[in-house]
Amino acid sequence: MKKTSTVGKSNRTVMVLLILGLSTIIFPLYMTVVIAFKQPSEMTNSISGILSLPKVWSLNNFKEAMEVTDFWNSLKNSLVISVLTVGLSILIHSLMGYTLGRNKSSKFYRFVYLFIVSGMFVPFAILMMPLAKQTAEMGLANWFGVILLYVVFYMPMNIMLYSGYLTNIPLALEEAARVDGASTWRTYWEIIFPIMKPMHATVAVITALAVWNDVMTPLIIMAGSSENTLPLAQLNFQSQFGTNYNLAFASYLLSLIPILVFYVICQKQILNGVVNGAVK
Amino acid sequence: MKRKGARSLAFFVCLAAIAPTVQGCGEAPDGKIEVEIVQYKPEAANYFKTVEEAFNASHDDIHLTISSPNDAMAILKTRFIREDYPDIIGIGGDINYSYFVDADILADISGYAGMQDVNEGYLDIAEALELVPVDGTYILPYAANAAGILYNREMFEAHGWQIPETWEELTALCDEIAAEGILPFYFGFKDIWTCLAPWNAMAVELAPSDATKQVNKGLTTFTKEYGELSEKYLALLPYGPDDPFAYSYNDACTAFARGESAMYPIGSYAAPQILSVNPDLKIDSFVMPASDAADGRTLNSGIDLGFCVTAACENKEAAYEVLDFLYADENLQKYIDAQTSVPCKKGTFELSTLLEGMSEFIAGGNMTDYQDHYYPSEMSVDALLQTFLIEQDKDAFLKNFDTSWQRYNRDIIRMVQEYEAAQKSAE
Amino acid sequence: MSKHENERKRTFLLITIPILALFICFNTIPLIRGAMYSFTNSRGFGSHDWVGLRNYIDLFSDARVGKSYWFTIKLALVTTVVVNVLSLILALGLNSKIRAKGFFRGAYFLPNILGSLVVGYIFNYFFTYIVPALADMTGITSLSSSILSSPGKAWIGVMIVCAWQAIAMNTIIYISGLQTVPEDVYEAGGLDGATGWKQFKHLTFPLIIPFFSINMVLCVKNFLMVFDQIIALTKGGPAQSTESISYLIYNNGMSGGQFGFQSANAVVFFIVIVVISVAQMKFSSSKEEQL
Repeated sequence: MKKTSTVGKSNRTVMVLLILGLSTIIFPLYMTVVIAFKQPSEMTNSISGILSLPKVWSLNNFKEAMEVTDFWNSLKNSLVISVLTVGLSILIHSLMGYTLGRNKSSKFYRFVYLFIVSGMFVPFAILMMPLAKQTAEMGLANWFGVILLYVVFYMPMNIMLYSGYLTNIPLALEEAARVDGASTWRTYWEIIFPIMKPMHATVAVITALAVWNDVMTPLIIMAGSSENTLPLAQLNFQSQFGTNYNLAFASYLLSLIPILVFYVICQKQILNGVVNGAVK
Repeated sequence: MKRKGARSLAFFVCLAAIAPTVQGCGEAPDGKIEVEIVQYKPEAANYFKTVEEAFNASHDDIHLTISSPNDAMAILKTRFIREDYPDIIGIGGDINYSYFVDADILADISGYAGMQDVNEGYLDIAEALELVPVDGTYILPYAANAAGILYNREMFEAHGWQIPETWEELTALCDEIAAEGILPFYFGFKDIWTCLAPWNAMAVELAPSDATKQVNKGLTTFTKEYGELSEKYLALLPYGPDDPFAYSYNDACTAFARGESAMYPIGSYAAPQILSVNPDLKIDSFVMPASDAADGRTLNSGIDLGFCVTAACENKEAAYEVLDFLYADENLQKYIDAQTSVPCKKGTFELSTLLEGMSEFIAGGNMTDYQDHYYPSEMSVDALLQTFLIEQDKDAFLKNFDTSWQRYNRDIIRMVQEYEAAQKSAE
Repeated sequence: MSKHENERKRTFLLITIPILALFICFNTIPLIRGAMYSFTNSRGFGSHDWVGLRNYIDLFSDARVGKSYWFTIKLALVTTVVVNVLSLILALGLNSKIRAKGFFRGAYFLPNILGSLVVGYIFNYFFTYIVPALADMTGITSLSSSILSSPGKAWIGVMIVCAWQAIAMNTIIYISGLQTVPEDVYEAGGLDGATGWKQFKHLTFPLIIPFFSINMVLCVKNFLMVFDQIIALTKGGPAQSTESISYLIYNNGMSGGQFGFQSANAVVFFIVIVVISVAQMKFSSSKEEQL
């Protein structure tokens, strides 16, 4: 770690800019927190009114929001779906990304790559009805079907990410292992898979986030079952003729915590990239 | 390679093995007849939860499940596509109902005894919703809502303002209110659907109730039928806030609740949202006067919630028993209390004070359905109205209305005309 | 060596086949089944008639659809540029040696997790009440009424919110890209006196081009398919000026009774984005090869 004077100076500028930029996040967050603690009768359209602190800091909204959404149960469903989706995505997508990323010279694999990546652009609305029918026919109108669909939906993006990441990982690493007599499959799991750790973390964050907030897939696929995910349960707060923003905001703050924690954990992994060391 | 491969294969097999065990949860308990209702008003979820509990406590042969999901229409449509029909669906009397009848999804329930107790006005409304006349009755109208003008009663009393009965009186009143430095109306036109509220409320008086049907038959055009209506709608705008398109429904409810305007032209369904902001507000309502004849007024009211039995329902008797329970006076009373709505059943019910100004119309059966219940939602008449209110070009709006109507209703128009032709040749 | 080559080829094929089959089963087949509806007048349920190419012919004469393409493409282009510039800067900042790095990274990630109901409410409030009040105070009359209520300017509001939410994800991708840049590149560059912009342009950027192209493709795709932000902010208004293509497809096809017609729209839309994105990828891979 070198510390020269130029580095110190530019870091200070960076800090100032980062802090300034932070205001675009602090302000909405402040509003969310304040509204989550207020009562509906404290809502006004005046700026001073909306920015003022709640009259009483009480956790009642949170308690009620948890009751309305059947919080622990919905949380469990959301967690199961997210964790399994992320796990499967990392295993399957990285493998596919590796296969396609290492075969860019082959026409067939280039076609498969474009074929899968273009799946990303299918408007969900056109898939909805056929998928609802198909999953029901296959007995997959449940959370397992939802996970399976997620693995397919996020495959294009994740494959793109993995094979992009591989461009910067030298082939020499694999060739060395191959000389030692290791099979491609083993080389992958023992050398390439660990090296892609920063990308796993990135994929995990992006996939988890998309899954965590998704309403449509569980709504369509699990329609009619009594199981809810958190975002599905949160739909209860809004209807055309009235929305209880206070409860809704409290609920959103609650559901934000697990994913934020997950992100912070993954973020460390993104940083602990082993590539630098490996390349040297 | 084989070892690793086997391991991950085992993983998938495990996953596949868990799946069905989890799936098999919600089975029907102990041989009771299962009746499932999906109703589309999530705001009434609490009411239906208590009904479900009360029903199950008092019936040991039938087990009732009521779900009140948000976005119920999307859920219903996906379930229809899967051919997974609930026994009873609770929906509104709007174009979706028309489509469901047309798609033969619903069962004819004219044989249900409770039909005798329904207020005829609402049965007529239900019948009018059929795209082409069909035999039978497909919906049990449960509760209705009413739209007109909500007003701040204390404010009106304090200033001695009178309830207007003609269009002239209404504009005079607005001028008077504005002269005192108070905003007569609030609008929340940022939420496009609210543009329909004043439109519907005036249309019942200014346009024939079957305007859309006449257009489908090729007898008239909207340019003819909606001319005066459009002009009068524009005339209301100056009495609202400066930039009504900036405010959402929620903003407008909050503003009206805080006394920022004297009136809010919206339906009775807005009351809970308004009262959540200001529980002490005294709200009353009156029928929107749109012409110069006081006796030409009619209440804008339509079926807000009705129950339909699906054609796929296996046990109609059980379904009727559930309907009996729902339709019992004391349960219906609880519903209309919770939702400030109007019962579709004959008999004496206690109406919310909010509806006092409209009660004589309700009692007299003087009501007309919302025009928008006949509009296909994909035509987005609400958005057309918002465009019209922004651009204020009546001729362009009406012309667009007519061409859009022909475009979006092409298949329905063809169906209607084929039906008419068949009727003629039969005669 | 050839034995190795064969083993390698076989392994790759064995990996590809089941995954591709899964993908075809839950993406390609439903797409084809969905596309079939585009030749019908289906409402999504009940019976339907085959109408041939009527929906496609209608599509090209439908002013509302045309308007939605124009709005969506305009939004996607502008937002993609804005997001990529800002998130690249942010990624560089967050990747430099600063204090409280973890905190900043966490904080800048927040916009991505706030649900769209919250984001919609807050930004509606911001544009409806706060911006006009600030404009009145500072005398900027062009902002004294809500930009979301002006058909000409509402797309800017949508753009701001889309960018605000999307920057987090793009930043993460850039940060993980920056991890693949070996330290010694900088050290070598530092000796030559390459600093700041020069260092970025000649050393850093060429190495993260794969991530730049991923981000470009993802952005263009995400913003062309913009839906949540429209629902949260404008619901297509004012005066139908912010109806995105996905909004039309969902609103008229799923919620409304235009399922067949909107399926045709979805098919055309799908082809349009594939063409745009493949062109984009071809372009950036040719760039990669140049470097």
